[in-house]
Amino acid sequence: MSKELPDDLKYTETHEWLKIEGENATVGITDHAQESLTDIVFVELPEIGKKVKKGDELCIVESVKSVSEIYAPITGTITKVNKELENIPETINESPYEDGWLVEIKIEDKSEIESLLNAESYKKTIQ
Amino acid sequence: MVNKSPLNQIHKKLGAKFTEFAGFEMPIYFSSIKDEHLNVRKSVGLFDVSHMSNVWITGKDAEKIISLTTVEDASKIPVGQSQYTEILRKDGTVIDDTIFMHLEKEKFMIIPNAGMNEIVTKWLEKIAKQHKMDVKITDVSKDFVILAIQGPKSRDTLQKLTNTDLGKIGFFACQNIEIANVNCIISHTGYTGELGFELQITPAEKAINVFNSIMEAGKEFNIKPIGLGARDTLRLEKCFILAGNEFEGGRTPLEATLSWTISWEHDFIGKEALLKQKEKGDYERLTKLVCKEKGIPRHGCEVQKNRKKVGIVTSGTLSPCLSKGIAMAYIHPDFRTVGDTLDIIIRDKPIKAEIIKPPFVKKDWAENN
Repeated sequence: MSKELPDDLKYTETHEWLKIEGENATVGITDHAQESLTDIVFVELPEIGKKVKKGDELCIVESVKSVSEIYAPITGTITKVNKELENIPETINESPYEDGWLVEIKIEDKSEIESLLNAESYKKTIQ
Repeated sequence: MVNKSPLNQIHKKLGAKFTEFAGFEMPIYFSSIKDEHLNVRKSVGLFDVSHMSNVWITGKDAEKIISLTTVEDASKIPVGQSQYTEILRKDGTVIDDTIFMHLEKEKFMIIPNAGMNEIVTKWLEKIAKQHKMDVKITDVSKDFVILAIQGPKSRDTLQKLTNTDLGKIGFFACQNIEIANVNCIISHTGYTGELGFELQITPAEKAINVFNSIMEAGKEFNIKPIGLGARDTLRLEKCFILAGNEFEGGRTPLEATLSWTISWEHDFIGKEALLKQKEKGDYERLTKLVCKEKGIPRHGCEVQKNRKKVGIVTSGTLSPCLSKGIAMAYIHPDFRTVGDTLDIIIRDKPIKAEIIKPPFVKKDWAENN
């Protein structure tokens, strides 16, 4: 059961999505990513205030069989984390683009947005 | 080159997600690991475990070679009975754990682990030659499909496909049987800790009929096909050994808390080494830990007490039944009192875990959940 790729989001080749609103980006993983992870049973979120560079490890998402690193798609500071996921990690499987958001980042370098993929380009990478 | 199970096409049709295990392309799950796991505990599941091996041991000295190469005295296992045991090296470490089935006079079948058929066959042939034994060792792994049907409704499901009264096949008994009009070897055995049976079927084409018939018969019990992912979580909840993990690097049955399988009163390869180890007593032992904090222990995680290393995790996962991290770990004998807390280091963070008396999931779990 594939979910539609939202048009208003940006994407990375490593299957993260970003919702850019002004200075802030909400980050999560795509439906393709959650599907290949299957039942997510544990999420280790970063500390609020942590500075991350694009490509750094952002957080860890674990399924029964595997441990996956999620990478920061953009440079900035963590301002919010989705604490719900600590109790109900499978929210990411059920609602990867909405309730399953991972963190919010205050963007440091807006020029990095240009190198992100739009829905069409991301779709091509997963075909 | 990756081997495929004869049921590979059926797996694909059922929507399997595949993984490679011991050189075989096998399903890791069909719906989800958690879903399949709980289905086996509560109802019934069907596993294709054809990646495991089948070796015939036949001839006058069949019983003798099993007694010599395993920790079991095979003369104690009559026709119609099977036994879980280990094949040891001279230094007492385990080559493979296996089940052997005494099917007829001078005719046994052993089930080595996936990928171990050549090693085990060569080892047995070597010993047979050394001791001039009148025995034939035949690797027939390629010819057999192995199915496991497991869960509280497994017997009801299988009973619909045979005239043999399955209620009369006792625990670890084995015999020939007709399932869905196909000759099979059946054993009242399994790797899940639930009621269940395992079927050895040849030729492969007939096994496809058996698989499909079981899936059909099990529909009323909500039967599901089960992948290797759930196979691992199911066995770990019951503290069963996965040879590749628990015997990695060379471990003895004493270390793996398998002394209950050893018949000390007979001679076997590795006995002297075990006796020496038993006398010394200071060996690490497989210990069962449940996480008290959020975190999933994995193979290779260090276990510490007061920041000092006391052991290492061999198998770890999130228990689908308990929703807690569980692990088996080799721990120094001074630090494994039931009820005590140790630290499992997961990604550099110490996660508190309690030492428990096995198993992680008790027999009555399904009744109370």
